[in-house]
Amino acid sequence: THIQYERVGADVTMKCGSMDWDAAVTWTVNGTDIDESHLNGSYLILKNVDLMQNGHYSCYEGSSWHLKYQTYLRVGTPPKEPVLMCRSNNYPKGFYCSWHLPTPTYIPNSFNISVIHGTKEMVCEKDAVPKNRCHIRYLQLFSTVKYKVTLTVTNALGKNFTTLTFDEFAIVKPDPPESVVAKPVPNNPRRLEVSWQNPSSWPDPESFPLKFFLRYRPLILDQWQHVELSDGTSHTITDAYAGKEYIIQVAAKDNDIGTWSDWSVAVHATPWTEEPKHLTTEAQITETTSASTSSFMAPPTTKICDKGAIVGSGAVAVCWTAGLVMAAYSVLFI
Amino acid sequence: MAGADSPSAALQRRDLCARGIRLAGKMRADVINLLDTYAERQGLDASANVAAVEGLPLAAVEGWDEQTGTQRLLENLAAYRAFRALLAQMLEEHREQLGEADAALGRALAAVLLQVSAFTYHLEELLRLESCGAPSEEEQEEEDGLPPQPHGLFEQKLRGLGVLRELAQWALRSGRDLRQLAKPSPGTGSAPSPAESP
Repeated sequence: THIQYERVGADVTMKCGSMDWDAAVTWTVNGTDIDESHLNGSYLILKNVDLMQNGHYSCYEGSSWHLKYQTYLRVGTPPKEPVLMCRSNNYPKGFYCSWHLPTPTYIPNSFNISVIHGTKEMVCEKDAVPKNRCHIRYLQLFSTVKYKVTLTVTNALGKNFTTLTFDEFAIVKPDPPESVVAKPVPNNPRRLEVSWQNPSSWPDPESFPLKFFLRYRPLILDQWQHVELSDGTSHTITDAYAGKEYIIQVAAKDNDIGTWSDWSVAVHATPWTEEPKHLTTEAQITETTSASTSSFMAPPTTKICDKGAIVGSGAVAVCWTAGLVMAAYSVLFI
Repeated sequence: MAGADSPSAALQRRDLCARGIRLAGKMRADVINLLDTYAERQGLDASANVAAVEGLPLAAVEGWDEQTGTQRLLENLAAYRAFRALLAQMLEEHREQLGEADAALGRALAAVLLQVSAFTYHLEELLRLESCGAPSEEEQEEEDGLPPQPHGLFEQKLRGLGVLRELAQWALRSGRDLRQLAKPSPGTGSAPSPAESP
């Protein structure tokens, strides 16, 4: 079936096949008759078309109702300059380029990418998913010759292109670190232990080590603290505000070349805090029971007891809070 | 002399590689700084395309991850010996052209030349440890020849830019080469297995 592409805002004239100008015809769009006011003789005139005029147009001879012409009208725009990005997140294996159009054209587009390194043309293998991406294996490493990538986008109404020129090392940007974990440090109210892993897409961290940037702040403040770490995948924060919940993120970069990754997924952690001691002295229990028996509330048994002590010593260990509670009840019911 | 695979040789190799990596990193940082200064003082665009410079060892390599340790060391050694000669020539030209007018640039060039010499010696040590022995400089000069003299002043300046740019790439490559070398290897002179593609 014939498809007719026209630019947004254009005036479109459709002829009814080989019918003469003065022939009696009927035009329909998507099966609905088109008003005669849009006709100039047997020609269909559509002025200043927009997406609303998209559809299946048919022309029938007046008396016999024979189909004389049909077409699908698709209204769109020629492509603007595409946006192209190239990046190596798996150095030294290769790099990928991805692209998109800044504004939609509303009609089908095709993309062609060429990659030239010196005098050599390289093949950029298109990914199945996503469709607007292709990848290249590095054939050479440590070259000072720049790569030139040209992306051309073409549709029925026009074409456009963009070119990127870059050095091998300039586009290296790892993925963010993975599995970031932050934990409080027991008995240390100002410390948080943070650990992470190299991004799984980075193929050889031993020969191409990454360095890391850690940022952290308490949720209640806007200002980040930063720490740069040249090796290792863990760090202990030692200046956390006691009792405050922190948000922590990590980024990665090749030790020598390229740019920092995006920030990792944020993790939250609060430094260790000592559990508050519950003040249950005998005097307090006595005062409470003499004031009002109905207002007496048994203190929570977990406040004083060390869970480890109870678990470890079974029937022998006596939680002194529980003892006090029992004593208080005894007083009440004498 | 301990065999290349003995534990003490392995420790020595690791130690030499670690020091070499640090040397290469420092050298690269200094060369990059010098590159900017050189381009500015010579009135050049630091990113200008430079025509192929005769006698300049190119850092670009195919099949890098498949090279053996010995190959890496030999290629590095040949490169830095060539850079030593090229930088010495640049320094002499600089002194002839400018004399004391740009002493700072002259000192920076001399400092890089010293680092290149030190790194060359370091590579020779590593090759001795690999029980390969370094090819003598006379043999290498017979193979490679001395760097040809550039013609005009502008050509000299562009050539200098190309030399420094390539040296920065070599310093980067050398760090990577030494990291590969420092990995435990299965046998003498054999390369560790390249990482699998993701």
